[in-house]
Amino acid sequence: MTSQDWEVLVLAVVVAVTCALPGVYLVLRRMALLSDAISHSILLGIVLAFFWVRDLNSPVLVLAAGATGVLMVAMVEALHRTRLVKEDAAIALVFPALFSLAVLLISRHAGDVHLDVDAVLLGEIAFAPFRRWVVGGIDLGPRALWMMLGILAANLLFLLSLHKEMKVATFDAGLAAAMGFSPVLLHYAFMSLVSVTAVGAFDAVGSILVVALMIAPPAAARLLTDRLGLLLPLAAGIAAGSAALGFFGAILLDASIAGSMASAAGLVFAGVLLGAPERGIVAEVRRRREQRLEFAVRMLLIHLLNHEGGPREAEENRADHLAGHLRWSRDFARRVVRRAVREGQLERRGGEGLALTPLGREVARHVMTR
Amino acid sequence: MTQGPPEPAIEVNDLTVAYREQPVLWDVDLRIRAGALTAIVGPNGAGKTTLVRAILGLVAPAAGQVRILGQPLARVRGEVAYVPQRGTVDWDFPTSVLDVVLMGTYGRLGWFRRPGRREREDARSALEKVDMEAFADRQIRQLSGGQQQRVFLARALVQDARIHLMDEPFQGVDARTERAIVDVLSELRSRGDTVVAVHHALQTVPEYFDDVVLLNVRRVASGPVPEVFTEENLRVTYGGRVPFLARGEGPGAPASESASGPALDPRPDPPTGARE
Repeated sequence: MTSQDWEVLVLAVVVAVTCALPGVYLVLRRMALLSDAISHSILLGIVLAFFWVRDLNSPVLVLAAGATGVLMVAMVEALHRTRLVKEDAAIALVFPALFSLAVLLISRHAGDVHLDVDAVLLGEIAFAPFRRWVVGGIDLGPRALWMMLGILAANLLFLLSLHKEMKVATFDAGLAAAMGFSPVLLHYAFMSLVSVTAVGAFDAVGSILVVALMIAPPAAARLLTDRLGLLLPLAAGIAAGSAALGFFGAILLDASIAGSMASAAGLVFAGVLLGAPERGIVAEVRRRREQRLEFAVRMLLIHLLNHEGGPREAEENRADHLAGHLRWSRDFARRVVRRAVREGQLERRGGEGLALTPLGREVARHVMTR
Repeated sequence: MTQGPPEPAIEVNDLTVAYREQPVLWDVDLRIRAGALTAIVGPNGAGKTTLVRAILGLVAPAAGQVRILGQPLARVRGEVAYVPQRGTVDWDFPTSVLDVVLMGTYGRLGWFRRPGRREREDARSALEKVDMEAFADRQIRQLSGGQQQRVFLARALVQDARIHLMDEPFQGVDARTERAIVDVLSELRSRGDTVVAVHHALQTVPEYFDDVVLLNVRRVASGPVPEVFTEENLRVTYGGRVPFLARGEGPGAPASESASGPALDPRPDPPTGARE
């Protein structure tokens, strides 16, 4: 790897972590899609600020973009408050309006603006090392990296210092308001932070993929823990891992780094969704199968108990009859018998015959009397 | 100066709250006696929750004012604790029982300061009072409805307030929780605190509360239970269909209300997650 590759990798990790931190609260506040809306509408701020300062690296762009994000949130709320449209519709109405205006402006002035729509949508992190920050002849590294580190610091400062305020405002806005922590103020401060984060990530991964980085790692972390305190570091770790995975994937496939990062974030989420120890799909399926088998064993014990000593015992209490009588598949019946035998509740009597052990009899009686 | 009656804990003057010109509360005047347990009762849509939220400054009134301990709310915020309906929060939120109770201390901590050991001790002893100390480290997702309500109650206790506003604390709780709540209420009263609770089960009003406010958009009546909680007043409040009387404790009430009326209590405790 060249030093440029290293710079891109570090930037990718920093971008991913910076996005994942506010993403945790977006997920908890059920506002995941607002990140999509914000990341699109900030483009208008970027374009307008660019026309003004004529410099794509100016911090004015970040501020203007942040302001448009907040403006978008305010417009959505104003529209929603009229009660003429629902909130999801309000979001879907406002952000395309701002975004399309930005796209119009870019295409109208395509000649003299170094913004093109492809780069806006997808970003190009591979170019980041070419824009250096040089102070007094000393090369300090890619500008984008410094900007992102600044935004990361702002995110950490906000989320750590206002941890309890954000927690109570998210869990119980009524209580937060009654205690004098204005949930509205916190909401707008947080939305400004999301907007600024989206602007920072925009250069690297564009306005569409930033959503993947904001939502996928926190959503995966949420499946792994029930502790808010663990959620932030876990989401950050998953984000960093996804970014690194995506970076090497892109080199391997010779493909877009941003696309690869977002895909990796999605794959990691899918992996967690399947494999999370408690809430994952595999664990859930296994739990259900286990319950089903356990229930079937009880059913079998009761069946055997009912026919024990009866006239048709020899006929009923046979392993090869279970399939017909209890409507189980042969394979399932065999598994149930094997399990009951292993648990010492059942004995085989000469080939297919089945008999309850004293323990099995006791379990069956206990189950029935409950 | 002449000696007037003792200052009310909460004073509501000419309070009108409207949603889009539709009045939810219409010119309500109210004095809540300090040191008493007061129930707010009324039919669905009577504005009970809105009244509580307006007292807390959570909804903006169209007219009127609220004074708490003779002062505007902003000056005495720390003296007021709030127990919202437990359905209004997300019980899947990733946090523990102790953490939810600790939220009650946030108000006195103010901005930025974190709860420390003293707050933790307060929270644990509040959990003890509602018989939930064994659940301190449990995830809130795993609580039953009654347990959730007791956690909310513990959270109100650590607020160290003098006035407690509760929105349907008895709603959908098991018998054990109901007892725990009653115990806490009487402890609060013996401490000299004021409790205002939105309440649905009319038949328990005389047993649990000292005062009652009968509300149906307007204030129908308010005052000590023996004077105000009369058949006549209830009939006016509930528009002639009084679920309480339908239970055979009053003459001439229609019997059809008993099945669906709000007076059915204690109701079974619906589990909202895995039980212990």
